[in-house]
Amino acid sequence: MLNTTSHLLRRSAQGLAVALGLLASAGLTEALAGTTYPLTLENCGSKVVIDHAPKRVVSIGQAQTEILYALGLGDRVVASALWFGPVAKPYETVNAGVKRLADNDPSFEAVVGQEPDLVVAMYEWHIGPNGIVGKRERFDAVKVPVYVSPTDCVGKDNSGAGDGVRTQMYSTELLYRNILEYGAIFDVSDRAEALVARLKAREAEAARTVATLNGKDVSMALWFSSKEIKGDAFLAGKNGVPAYVMEQLGIRNIITTQEEWPLVGWETIAANDPDVLVLVKMDRRRFPADDIDAKLAFLKTDPVASQLSAVKNGRIVIVDVAATRPGMDTVDGLEAIATAVQGFGLVH
Amino acid sequence: MSHIAIGPNWPARLALAGLSLAALVVAIALAVTVGEMPIPLGVAFRALGNGLFGLGYPVSAIQQGVIFEYRLSRALMAALCGGALALSGAILQALLRNPLAEPYILGVSAGASTGAVAVMILGFGGATLGLSGGAFLGSVAALVLVGLLAAGAGGASDRVILAGVAGSQLFNAATATIVTTMASAEQARGVMFWLLGNFGGVRWPDLAVAAPVALLGFLVCMVHAKALDAFAFGADAAASLGIHVTRVRLVLLATTALLTATMVAIVGTVGFVGLVIPHAARFLVGPGHARLLPACLVIGAVFMILADVLSRILVPQQILPIGIVTALVGAPAFALILYRARRPA
Repeated sequence: MLNTTSHLLRRSAQGLAVALGLLASAGLTEALAGTTYPLTLENCGSKVVIDHAPKRVVSIGQAQTEILYALGLGDRVVASALWFGPVAKPYETVNAGVKRLADNDPSFEAVVGQEPDLVVAMYEWHIGPNGIVGKRERFDAVKVPVYVSPTDCVGKDNSGAGDGVRTQMYSTELLYRNILEYGAIFDVSDRAEALVARLKAREAEAARTVATLNGKDVSMALWFSSKEIKGDAFLAGKNGVPAYVMEQLGIRNIITTQEEWPLVGWETIAANDPDVLVLVKMDRRRFPADDIDAKLAFLKTDPVASQLSAVKNGRIVIVDVAATRPGMDTVDGLEAIATAVQGFGLVH
Repeated sequence: MSHIAIGPNWPARLALAGLSLAALVVAIALAVTVGEMPIPLGVAFRALGNGLFGLGYPVSAIQQGVIFEYRLSRALMAALCGGALALSGAILQALLRNPLAEPYILGVSAGASTGAVAVMILGFGGATLGLSGGAFLGSVAALVLVGLLAAGAGGASDRVILAGVAGSQLFNAATATIVTTMASAEQARGVMFWLLGNFGGVRWPDLAVAAPVALLGFLVCMVHAKALDAFAFGADAAASLGIHVTRVRLVLLATTALLTATMVAIVGTVGFVGLVIPHAARFLVGPGHARLLPACLVIGAVFMILADVLSRILVPQQILPIGIVTALVGAPAFALILYRARRPA
């Protein structure tokens, strides 16, 4: 009952925010938030100059594309690339009208061939010092400004191979900065602020759900996948998105290495015996353990994993892979884990 | 079989054999007792007793599992893998008369990656084939191709190496093509990662496959020990000693191929061992294959067990790919051997 009420409240709050957004776009609050062009931004160690509110955007990375949609900028997105899964439900219609350059990495020519006046990217490994789509200089040469999400470059070292190393813990503050910077770039700051306020409120609410953990030491591990089902597991490192979620909820991540996704042996997991185990569900099928059913079957049958207290007591949470990446879905994951942990009776 | 029979200086050889066995046992004992989870020695022994002889000591299920299911099976697999790769290296170096020959020269690891990627990304063979099955079939395909190429080019030892290089390049290109054109954004990243080699997924059923293959391979090689000695002087010299050069070459190439493909399919590619251990063994026991081959087996096994222990404990909470450790530890060790065996100018 309580759940239904809060759900209704949240729905109406969202409705209100959308209405406010519409009002804003109607120009009623224009005086409050006007961007003065040219706008100069510091972005991932480079300077970006935006001459006018972009009208033709190419977006490389699902999370970035969905933020643009959430800001009501779908009509400015001419093409997208890098999709990890189906587009989030609310954006299905607007996404259907946007050209998809590639499910994965688009080529440089495919991107600039759209004659964009802005290219945005979710990851530095697409546009950055080792960018596989192109380095920043390459876009500079054709006079196309690029914006890379601060979620992937602030406090993160992408110079090595692999998923990078986070030197500082991820925080949704980076996501909010990202959204607010879109607000400035596209001259829709009011909408951006409303979106950020909505997401912040949800984060705070989720944290309140488990506030009663109250200094109690609840430990957790998040299992992404494994190269072989019985092999070492990719767990969330100490500074990534899942680590941030745990910290927000006052939960201790058993893993303390900086690597974004360190490879951890099951003996190590058993030695740290987490109270709660979070499993990641995904459409990807690169490794056998990408399959959530394979993960669950392993936990049931492995002589050691089946003895973990999280497994024996059924304290297993399943979250969508999108929640482990920087984006608005992080907040979904936060809510899912908070609700589940509350249900496990670890909360007094 | 007179060449492996006990000769005149049998006490020395017996002592050497005993010493090797002792080294192996000590290495396995170390691997079973060292790990992230602190388990007292006594508990470890009881867990071994339970697992091996069903003694029924009271040991917590988690400790029993870690000792018997994880650490022991893993140590034995590391031993088999190290031994088999070193053995293969010794055979290839003799057969091809090239000190740089190593098991992967036959295109095995390139073929394995193509097979594994075909299973992972194209879904070829589906669930029945699996990653290991795909890797094994890929290895065999690469070997057949390299074999045909080498035979077509006359079969001389340098041709085998050239054919291996060509075959490897071809299979690497096939892998890259599949990855870049078919894989999704996630798949494309680090798809080759598992090939770096890892003992993390090893369980007892893997040993049931690897152990007979390794044993059979070793016996086949030992039978040909004398022929291998003759190959040191070239194929013509071997032929003049009454050795069926083509047949021996074919049997031994097939044996090393089977050994390597099996190991790659189970644990991935582990570099350095197949190249370096035979040289180390030669410095210790001399070039005669009757002694060299068992020495390779034991040294390779001990080396790999120790490397795997290091890969588990070097970085807390994190597993290093075994290939990194074998090179990290093996290269300086090899340099030391080279230095100590230096010839006076």
